[in-house]
Amino acid sequence: MTTTASRAPLPAATSRRRTFNPRRAAAWALLVLAIAVSVLPFLWVLRTALSTNNALATNATSLLPAEFSFGAFKRVFGLQTAAEAVAEGGSGAQIDFWLYLRNSIIFSSITTAGAVFFSAMAAYAFARLRWKGRNAVFSLFLGTMLVPPIFTALPNFLLIKNLDLLNTMLGMVLPYLFMTPFAIFFLRQFFLNMSREVEEAAMLDGAKHLRIFFQIVLPNAAAPIATLALLTFIGQWNEYFWPLLVGSQDDVRVLQVGLGVFKSQSPQGAPDWSGLMAATLISALPVLILFAAFGKKIVNSIGFSGIK
Amino acid sequence: MKKSLGAVAVAAAVALSLSACSGSSSSAEASKGEINYWLWDANQLPAYQQCADDFSKANPDIKVKITQRGWDDYWSTLTNGFVGGTAPDVFTNHLGRYGELAEKKQLLAIDDAVKKDNIDLTAYNEGLADLWVGQDGKRYGLPKDWDTIGLFYNKAMLASAGITEDQMKNLTWNPEDGGTYEKVIAHLTVDKSGKRGDEPGFDKNNVAVYGLGLNGGGDSSGQTEWSYLTNTTGWSHTDKNPWGTHYNYDDPKFQESMGWFAGLADKGYMPKLETTVGAAMADTFAAGKSAINAHGSWMIGQYTGYKGVEVGIAPTPVGPKGERASMFNGLADSIWAGTKKKDASIKWVEYLASADCQDVVASKAVVFPALKASSDKAAAAFAAKGVDVTAFTEHVKNKTTFLYPITDNTAKVKGIMEPAMDAVVSGKAPASSLTQANEQVNALFK
Amino acid sequence: MTTLAKRSRSLSPAPDKPKRNGGLRQLGDLKIALLFIAPAMIGFIVFYVVPTVRGVYLSFTEYSILGDPEWVGMENYTAIAKDPLFWNSLAVTGQYVFLNIVLQTALALGLALLMHQVAKSTIIRGTLLLPYLMSNVIAALLWFWMLDYQIGVVNQFIEWAGLPRVAFFGSEAWAIPTQALINTWRHMGYTALLIFAGLQAIPGHVYEVAKLDGASASQTFRKITIPLLRPVLVLVLVVTVIGSFQVFDTVAVTSGGGPVNATRVIQYYIYQRAFTESDFGYGSAIAVILFLILALVAFIQMKFLKGNESDLD
Repeated sequence: MTTTASRAPLPAATSRRRTFNPRRAAAWALLVLAIAVSVLPFLWVLRTALSTNNALATNATSLLPAEFSFGAFKRVFGLQTAAEAVAEGGSGAQIDFWLYLRNSIIFSSITTAGAVFFSAMAAYAFARLRWKGRNAVFSLFLGTMLVPPIFTALPNFLLIKNLDLLNTMLGMVLPYLFMTPFAIFFLRQFFLNMSREVEEAAMLDGAKHLRIFFQIVLPNAAAPIATLALLTFIGQWNEYFWPLLVGSQDDVRVLQVGLGVFKSQSPQGAPDWSGLMAATLISALPVLILFAAFGKKIVNSIGFSGIK
Repeated sequence: MKKSLGAVAVAAAVALSLSACSGSSSSAEASKGEINYWLWDANQLPAYQQCADDFSKANPDIKVKITQRGWDDYWSTLTNGFVGGTAPDVFTNHLGRYGELAEKKQLLAIDDAVKKDNIDLTAYNEGLADLWVGQDGKRYGLPKDWDTIGLFYNKAMLASAGITEDQMKNLTWNPEDGGTYEKVIAHLTVDKSGKRGDEPGFDKNNVAVYGLGLNGGGDSSGQTEWSYLTNTTGWSHTDKNPWGTHYNYDDPKFQESMGWFAGLADKGYMPKLETTVGAAMADTFAAGKSAINAHGSWMIGQYTGYKGVEVGIAPTPVGPKGERASMFNGLADSIWAGTKKKDASIKWVEYLASADCQDVVASKAVVFPALKASSDKAAAAFAAKGVDVTAFTEHVKNKTTFLYPITDNTAKVKGIMEPAMDAVVSGKAPASSLTQANEQVNALFK
Repeated sequence: MTTLAKRSRSLSPAPDKPKRNGGLRQLGDLKIALLFIAPAMIGFIVFYVVPTVRGVYLSFTEYSILGDPEWVGMENYTAIAKDPLFWNSLAVTGQYVFLNIVLQTALALGLALLMHQVAKSTIIRGTLLLPYLMSNVIAALLWFWMLDYQIGVVNQFIEWAGLPRVAFFGSEAWAIPTQALINTWRHMGYTALLIFAGLQAIPGHVYEVAKLDGASASQTFRKITIPLLRPVLVLVLVVTVIGSFQVFDTVAVTSGGGPVNATRVIQYYIYQRAFTESDFGYGSAIAVILFLILALVAFIQMKFLKGNESDLD
C-alpha cells in the first residue's frame, strides 16, 4: 500500500512516506469504519430478505437468515400466490413489479432531465450573466427551499386536479420538471467557481450566450452536472409522497409506492419484514447500477492530473 | 408503526372534499359496468375475490375490481380519491373514521335500499348494524365483520410456570391489587437470573420475559391496551355511545385503573413504554419477550402463524363487577357519495353483507363476519385450523362487549390523549394528570 | 503564502474590477438572462409562489375542511404564541438541527477529505453512498427495527458487549439523537460527495503552488482548501440546516411525535394540526412561522459565511 501511495504524492502527505505513516493508517481506519457503518445495515437487509417472514421474530438475533428462503424475492416479483405468501407470514398483496419499475424509470428520468437542464440554464443566468435584479430574483428562488413541502402539497394537488392530470405521468412530473431550488443553488455555486478566461475569450470572438452555454459552460461543468443529475435521480427514485398523492392508480404507480404493500396491512400489525427488505434491495438496484456506471465517468471526466 | 406519510395526502383530500361531489349519472349507467372496491387487509383478499367472482356470476353486467391497500396508506389514498374524484365506489370503512366522512358528505346514505330490499338488520350480531347510523339518523354502511379482545399466551411459558389453561380462563382483575391476573402476570415474569416476578430477589431492572406485553399508551380508546380492564369497573369512555359529547378520563375509577396499569411497568411485569417504540408487539411476543399479549381478534392469523411458538387464547379477565369486558369494533362496507355506479354499488354492498359472501369469508378463518350465523361458521373454521376462538366469541355471546367510542372530533381527542396517556403509562405523570387532559378534550365539544 | 494568493488570483481575473468588456456586459445581459431563467421561472411561480401565497392566506383563516376559509386575522398567530406544544416543537427541532449539523457536516467533511486524499477508488465512494440509495422512509423503518429495544440486532450487540440495552426511539433522552443519527447515516456519504465534488473543482495548480511555497499539510488545508471550498461548504451547511428543520418522514413512520412530545418536531406538529386534526389555518400559520425562521437562519448563514462570493474570483 505504502509503495503505491508513494508514487502518487499527495498534498497532505509528507516526505516520510516510505516508512509506516501513522496518520495514513488512522485515515484508513476511519474510512474502514465509515464503510462498515454504511454497509453493515445492508447485510442485515440481505439477511432479512433471505429469511422466512414468520420465522424472523423467533430468530430475531441470529446473524444468519431465519429459515433461508427466496420467498420474499418471489413476492416482490409477484411470483408467489397470495396463499403461499400468507403461509410464509408475508403480505398477500399483489404487485405488478415490472410495471412499477417502468413507471419509476420514466418518472425519475423525465424529472431529472428537465430539472437539471432548466436549472442549469437558470444557474448560468444567475452566475455568469449580469442583469438588474439578478441577486433579488436568485434570493427569491432560493427562498423556495425554505418553504415547508407540507405547505405546498395541498395547493399543488388541487392544481393538478384542476388540470385534470391526476393519475397521469404528466401530472406526476410537472412540479419537478422546471427546476428544483437545490439544483439551481448547487450549479450556481459551481458556475461561480468556473474560470472566466475561456468564456471571455469566446465572448471576444463574438460568440452568443446560447453557444457559450452549450459549448463551453455545459461541457466544462460536466462533472458537477453529472453529480447533480445522479443525486436528483436518486432523490426522484425514492420520492414517495407526491407520487402517492397524484399517481396512486396502478398504471402510473411507481416502485416506492407499490412496495408500500409490504408495510403493515392492518392496524397494529407487523410489517412483512422480509418482503420489505427484499423490495428495498431490488428497488435500490437500478440506482446502484447507475452509480456504478455513472460514478466512474464523473471521476474520469475530472481526472486527477491537477492534483498530482 | 405510526401514521404514514401518505396521510398528508389524506388531509389534502379532506380539505377539498367539497368539490368532489359529482352529479350521479343516469340510472341505466348506474346499474352496470365495473365498480371499484377497496379493502386494507391483504389476508382477506382471497375471500373477497371469491365473493366478487360469485357476484359477477350472478350479475353478469357488473364487474368488481378489488384493490387492496395497506392500512398505513389506506386512508390517505382514499381521501385523495374523494378530493380528486378517483375514490372507489365501495370501500371498507372503520368506526374511527366514518363519523368524519359522513359529516363531510362523502358517504352515500343507503336507508332506502335497505328498506326496499328488506335487509334483515337483526341477523347481524347485536349492535353492529346500529353503529353505522350517523348522527343525522341515516345509515352509511352494512356490517361486514367485528373484532373483540382476548389474551394470547405462550403455551410453553405457561407450562413451565405451572399455570393451567383453566386458570387462564378464570382470571379475575380489580384495580386495587390486580386480582389473579396480576398474580399470573407476576409469576410469568422472569428476570435474567431465572427468578420469577413473585419471588424474593426478583430484579425488575433486568427482565428476560415480561408477564404482559405492551403495545403502547393506547391514546384515547385503549382498544387493546387497557379498555378490557378499565371498562369492567363500570367506567365508559363517554357519556353515551355512539355520539357522546362528554369524555370521562377524569373519573377516579378510571384513573385508579390506569394507575394500576402503569404500575405493572414499574414492578417490572410489563415492558416500560419507552421500550415498546419499535417492533410490533406481536413480533416481540414471538421472540419470547412476553408471555401474555392482550390483542384483537384480527391478529389471530399473525399470532398463530409464527413458527416455533405454541399460542393459546384466553378470555380477558373478569372485573370487579363480576363480568368481563371487551371493546367491540366493527367494520362495514360504505359507498362513496360521488359514485357513478350507484345502483351497482348498492347491489355489491348488499351482497357483501349477505350470508352468501360472509360465509365465504367465514370459511377462510381470518376474521369474524358480522352475521350471527356466519360468525359461528367462522368459529368452526378456526377450530378446524386448530385455533380455539371462544375467547373472542364468548364476549359477544355473553354480551360483555362495549362499543368503540364514536364521537365527533375523534382526531383531536386522539391528539390530546396520546401524549397524556403516554405520560401516564410511562410513569412520567400520575393518573390524576388525565383530569387536565380531559378538560381539554371536553372543551372541544363546547 | 502571499505569492500564492497573487498567483491564484491571476488565474481568473476578478470580474468586478473594470475590464475590457465590463461596460458592455453590464447592460446587455438582461434579455438573454430572461430567456435562460424562463422555464425555471414557470416552475417557480406555478409550483412554489402560488401555493405559498395561498398558504399564507390560509394562515389568517379558520379553515376546518367544512365550508370556506373564514378570515380570523391574527387569531391563529396569537394562539400559537400561547401554545406550549408549538414551543416544545421548536425546542425539539432545534435540538435535532444542532445535532445534525454537528454530526453531518463534520463527518462529511472528514469523509470527503479521506475520499479526496486517501481513497480514490470509485468503489469506496459508491459504498459510502449506499445509505443514500435507500429512501428516507425505508431507512427509518430499517433502523426502527434494527434498533428495537427488545428484538433489535443492535441492542443484541450492545448486550453482548456487556452494556445495558438502549430504548433508542422510546426514551426521551435518546429519541431525538436517534432520529439525527439515522438522518446522518443516510446523508453522510451524500454530503461528503458534495464536498468532494467541490474539492475536485479546486484547480490542481493551486496546490502545486502551495507545495512550491513549502506549505505544510495543515496550512494547505486551512489557507487553501477551506477558503476555496467555502461556496460548497455554505451550500452544504444551508442545505443541511434547512433540511433538518423540515424533518418529518423519519419521525412520521417511527416514533410519531412520542414518547409524550419528545419527537413532536415542528413539521410533524404542522402535519398533525393541519392534516390529522383538519385545522388548516392553524397548521398553515405554524408553517409560515417555520418559513420565517428558516429565512432568518439562511440569511444569517449567507451573511456570515459570505457564501455568495467565491475566493477564486
